[in-house]
Amino acid sequence: MIWIVKNLWLIPALPLVAAGIISVNKQPKRKLAASLAIGSMAVGFLLSLCAFAATLGHGGGEHGAFREVFSFPWLQFGGQWMSIGWVLDPLTAVMLMMVTFVGMLIFIFSVGYMAHDVNFMRFFCFLALFASGMLGVVIANNLLLLFISWEIVGLTSYLLIGFWYHKPSAAAAAKKAFITTRIGDLGLLIGMVWLYAETGTLNFYEGGKGCLESGALAQMLTHATIGGMAVSTAIGLLIFLGAVGKSGQLPLHVWLPDAMEGPTPVSALIHAATMVAAGVFLVARVYPLMAAGALVGEHGVPVTTSLTIVTWIGALTAIFAASIAVAQNDIKRILAYSTVSQLGYMMMGLGVGGVAVGMFHLITHAFFKALLFLGSASVIHGCHEEQDIRRMGGIKKYMPITFAVYAVGMLALAGFPLFFSGFWSKDEILHAAHGWSVSQVPFYLGCAGALFTAFYMTRQVALVFFGSYRGHQEESSQGHSAHSHTSSPGHDPHESPAVMTVPLVILAGFAILLGVIGTPAWPWFETYLNGHHVEFDLGKLTAGGTLTLMVSSSLIVFTGLGLGVWLYGKRQRKTAGEQDVLEAFQPAIFKVLQNKYYIDELYEVTVIRFNAFAAWLCDFADKWIFGGAVLVVSYLTLGFAWLYRLTDEYFVNLGFDAGCDSIRGGGGFLSKLHAGRVQTYLRIIGVALVALILFLIWGRKA
Amino acid sequence: MNYLQLLQLSAPEAVVTLTVLVVLGVDLTVLRGKSLAARFNVGALLSLLGCATAALLAFTRHTDANLFNGLLVVSPASDFVKVAILVLTVFTVLISASGKFTDHVGEYLSLILLGTIGLMFLVSTEDLLMIFLALEFASLTLYILTAFNKHNARSAEAALKYFLFGGMSAAFLLFGFSLLYGISGSTNLRDIAAAIAGKGLDPLLLVALVMTVIGFGFKVAAVPFHLWAPDAYDGAPTPSAAFIGSGSKVASFYVLAQIFTLGFVGAQGSAVWHGYVAGWTPTVAVVAALSMVLGNLTAIVQSGVKRLLAYSAIAHAGYMLLGVLGNNQLSASGMMFYVITYALTTIGAFGVVAVVEDATGGDAIANFNGLSKRAPGLALCLMVFLLSLGGIPPLAGFIGKFFLFSAVVDTAKNLGLLWLVILAIAMSAVSFYYYLRVLKAAYVEDAAADAPAIRVPLLSFLALALLALLVILFGVAPGLLTQYL
Repeated sequence: MIWIVKNLWLIPALPLVAAGIISVNKQPKRKLAASLAIGSMAVGFLLSLCAFAATLGHGGGEHGAFREVFSFPWLQFGGQWMSIGWVLDPLTAVMLMMVTFVGMLIFIFSVGYMAHDVNFMRFFCFLALFASGMLGVVIANNLLLLFISWEIVGLTSYLLIGFWYHKPSAAAAAKKAFITTRIGDLGLLIGMVWLYAETGTLNFYEGGKGCLESGALAQMLTHATIGGMAVSTAIGLLIFLGAVGKSGQLPLHVWLPDAMEGPTPVSALIHAATMVAAGVFLVARVYPLMAAGALVGEHGVPVTTSLTIVTWIGALTAIFAASIAVAQNDIKRILAYSTVSQLGYMMMGLGVGGVAVGMFHLITHAFFKALLFLGSASVIHGCHEEQDIRRMGGIKKYMPITFAVYAVGMLALAGFPLFFSGFWSKDEILHAAHGWSVSQVPFYLGCAGALFTAFYMTRQVALVFFGSYRGHQEESSQGHSAHSHTSSPGHDPHESPAVMTVPLVILAGFAILLGVIGTPAWPWFETYLNGHHVEFDLGKLTAGGTLTLMVSSSLIVFTGLGLGVWLYGKRQRKTAGEQDVLEAFQPAIFKVLQNKYYIDELYEVTVIRFNAFAAWLCDFADKWIFGGAVLVVSYLTLGFAWLYRLTDEYFVNLGFDAGCDSIRGGGGFLSKLHAGRVQTYLRIIGVALVALILFLIWGRKA
Repeated sequence: MNYLQLLQLSAPEAVVTLTVLVVLGVDLTVLRGKSLAARFNVGALLSLLGCATAALLAFTRHTDANLFNGLLVVSPASDFVKVAILVLTVFTVLISASGKFTDHVGEYLSLILLGTIGLMFLVSTEDLLMIFLALEFASLTLYILTAFNKHNARSAEAALKYFLFGGMSAAFLLFGFSLLYGISGSTNLRDIAAAIAGKGLDPLLLVALVMTVIGFGFKVAAVPFHLWAPDAYDGAPTPSAAFIGSGSKVASFYVLAQIFTLGFVGAQGSAVWHGYVAGWTPTVAVVAALSMVLGNLTAIVQSGVKRLLAYSAIAHAGYMLLGVLGNNQLSASGMMFYVITYALTTIGAFGVVAVVEDATGGDAIANFNGLSKRAPGLALCLMVFLLSLGGIPPLAGFIGKFFLFSAVVDTAKNLGLLWLVILAIAMSAVSFYYYLRVLKAAYVEDAAADAPAIRVPLLSFLALALLALLVILFGVAPGLLTQYL
């Protein structure tokens, strides 16, 4: 076993240690906190590179992908040992690199972004703790370890969303995120327990005995449960429920936009690049379970009930969230809905095209979405904590670097052809969806989503960077937000410091370059994950309708971009209060979109009202039914106590007292024998002599 | 069989005799005109040295010898009893060292040591004559010790009562012994046993038996021969009372068991419930039952702690008699464990009473009020002693009762002696009442507002603390003691 496999635990352990050290230090040690956190991520990145190299060296044979596991017994219940451990395979290695690298860049960026925050150290402590949990999810070879890390991630997400807890909206958003994802986690937990009951192990891979390996899968396939569903399908869907919660898929997506209340680097790291992708990663990890017993489709892609459900949920989420993003005005909310939508694409990719397709988009998206979020952070920072795009405009002039990198991110997200990674990864998904044997509807949904994506990103960029700055008009009437630091009213936006722009530039580079590893001509990423040899073949670009698809998807993107430019770029809005173009054109639809299809309100009147009713019912039951029962019991007890006291006082005690009195009286009587006269004493001896002799004679006769 | 051998075998007694002379001589010559405390302390230390030497001699030799057909019998068992008596004597001397009741220190200590010699001879003989002589010798010193407080008329009165009563019972005992001699033609216990074996219960033997019971019933203060005890305990100087209640008891019980188990082998009868057969066991059973009932009930109404302890001693004598009538090895060793731990405890209790009496001028229960505030260490010791007397685990008193009662239950077939044990346990429960009365005064009641702290003499306190420790130790690790019994 290679050393890196044995020591893979170091990668999550380092940030954990960093978080521990930061947490026990006193408040104003900013340098220490930042360098510990960033250092731990840097070392983790180096280790991840080693791990990657290890998988690279061994993969590529015909025996499938490189995979080494390390397990050890952890705890015992009954006669069984529960073992946990980690696995190193291409999936792990790719995720490790992505998380540590993007994480490191975001950490560096945060040094600048959070420079003025009082709780700087707390922030880095949480960030490091988050990184530890996320890396734990990635390396886990065991559903239990994964679940533990998963929950650490959820906790830090909660802590970081509510980082500015003095804002009621942040506190509410944190609670919402925590509770909503908890619903999904319940499914994951039940799935995990069921899986353990079925297979007796939670290890994914264990030399043929793991729960994702053929023996266990075959066993689970033979068992049927409700509605004739195979047990593997049911467990897969339960685990998918966890992924739905974490990755903000329909119908549990509501927390993710609200999570933007957290500091923007948090949104970039947790709610765009890594944590929300953990759901996608989880589905990729348990893909063998999802795909078990598949009827293999025409392109060698498995089709199962669970994967079909994953596909549909993903596709619906993609179009649904993309359409909402069109009508939002908060720069971060637009990105948040975009994230939800892109996560939908990933799920769809997993469903229709397998692990490689979904994961490729996950990786590229991580880079360009982190880029966009950090870019928006830079914009927000530059505009004195302003988040409403209607009050921005013309920022291109003030923040040229930010504009340049943001444009890269926007084009990557929109899927601008050939030069941007987003194009290749999205194209893969659409390609796979086109070839899906079950239905063509997800493909069309995906295309429509792509159109929306290009449109809303163009709208955002046009409103933020082009035209003239509209911030001043509001400031004079509204006063100023408490958050802004040195600015006086009328202060112009400014470019961010190098500590913030350098990570942006690096991320922008990756947003362009990463596309290379997944083009149809050189599908290195896919072959790496699946453990095949990669061949460079330009012919594949044109083969099998690929070219047609690329051209049509490019057309879609251009349409979206064109629409955006036509509606928002040509004729810039003059004031912040002006009505949106679309709103003027179709007020009803725009209103529905702006209010996110009233999903929150729907939940308000259904789930939450039901919850409130249930709470009221429970309260009523507790107060009157159980409380009454308790009251009755307590009165009964009191009654018995009264009765006992009565018996005690008037029967037992009186009897006892009488007994004691008679004993005491006996003592008094006996002591009277003792009158002090020696003559009496001696007489008593004589009497005793006679009595004893008589006693013995009586005994002798008997 | 020569006199040198006799001297060798009686070396511990000889050492104590020498100690008597030294203590008396030193007190009358060197210490003349010194303070009372100095005389008592030096005398106590000399006595301690002598007793320790004697105890060491007795403890380290492992001899079995029988001189002059049972006149002097030395065995490991008797030697261990002697060691116990010597240890008890030492404690008695230590608690008397703070006494202010007499100016005749040398004489007082010598008398205690002389009494000890009598007791030592009492346990190392199997001959009626020797038993009687030793018993009388020890008794005479006890009468004098009782009368030693010449400032107190009650001391003299108690001593006179004790003496009259003792003389009367000695007469009964001698009469009984003479009858035994007449029946068997021998004063040796084993010869007597051989002579009366198989002859049934002769009326003469019966009378002799009852008279022996009377003689020893007086010594151990068993009902109805106990009447001297409350007066003597009350009137005597407290250390004297402690000696009467401890060393004298150990020796008397040992020899009582000897006489009945060796000398009346064929005449034990049966005290089994519904299975009464005349003999010495039913006689002892009657005496024991009476002692337990009367001792405990009468103790309840006492207001003086010394009288209370006297009645408690009577009750304990009842428990111990159970061990005698158990009539086997197990119950005998249970009885010896009980009597030794009881003796240690009772010296301790009397020691506390002595200190309180010196400080407050009386031994009424009211004089103990607020003792836990005035002398916390002393109160703690008192608590250990009284709770042990009551039989609370993990103190020695509990283990003693447990050994004794379980041994007695085991001896008779079909739990025939269970009635006695049930009576004993019920009466133990009653005994808590009066022990706790004293402890309640010490721990719950408040002392008079102006009552000063009690200064406890160092020697007494050390002795009391050591006794309390022993009581706890023998309760926690009874094996330390039972291995010799």
